[in-house]
Amino acid sequence: MGLARWLTYALLCIIAWGTWGFVAKLGADKIAPGPLQILATAGTLPLALVAFLQLRMRLEKDGRGITYGILNGVLSGIGLLAYYAAVSRGKVSVVGSVTSLFPLLTVVLAFIFLRERLNRVQVVGVALSLVAIAIFSQ
Amino acid sequence: MKTAGTNSWFWYALVTVVAWGAVGLLQKLGTNRISSRSVLVWLFVGFAVLVPFLPFAQLWGLSPYLLFIGVLSGFLNALGSWFLFLSMESGAKASVAVPLTGLFPLITVLLGVSILRERPTALEWIGVCCALLGGILLSRESEAVGGS
Repeated sequence: MGLARWLTYALLCIIAWGTWGFVAKLGADKIAPGPLQILATAGTLPLALVAFLQLRMRLEKDGRGITYGILNGVLSGIGLLAYYAAVSRGKVSVVGSVTSLFPLLTVVLAFIFLRERLNRVQVVGVALSLVAIAIFSQ
Repeated sequence: MKTAGTNSWFWYALVTVVAWGAVGLLQKLGTNRISSRSVLVWLFVGFAVLVPFLPFAQLWGLSPYLLFIGVLSGFLNALGSWFLFLSMESGAKASVAVPLTGLFPLITVLLGVSILRERPTALEWIGVCCALLGGILLSRESEAVGGS
């Protein structure tokens, strides 16, 4: 009875992130990007702590893994600052869908640095993304 | 090319696309080496690295409601990542779960249109549909090649 567990979690992920995009708009309309990111960092702390406790307070000592992890946070944060700036200037329904194009760059970077090939579905995705970018850059 | 004006948001949104696109690559590289929970801990550390460069003084004077909204946004963002980890741990294939969770902007669009009463123009709707579908298709990796 009911949904597969992985699907339930995936749907909860969609709800959490989808609501995040909206709540960030409510914040960005009244708060400048800098202070908003300070507050968002505070909001991230409880789950980072839970993760840390579940790891029994032992993090892997893989230097490269750590570097990637921290860079991941710095770049995510920079992306968030730009998202707040964008969403405070436009409709969240439009800005939110444009920022969801980020896999375009991941695919391009993976092609360049990891030599991953694009499959046919991804090629269609690239084409649709470029149409969206063309429309919104007018 | 018009730059300033009504869609000045677009250039900021592109910065987000570039930064998060690079994050996607780092995640591919990072999760092969460290667990998803460690990634969340280091993500927080990365956020914390930025904090000293941000204007603390502007926090004074914000209403309790706005402080709550700001903290809630960070919490929801991390919570979404947490659910994605749990989904993967419960046996989801990355080639299915990642494009599926890429549907999240659909919820954002619905909330913007229903609660904020945003009314995108016809052309904007076409762009929204292309962007949503494009983002999902792009994350659909072949199982033999991608995923983790």
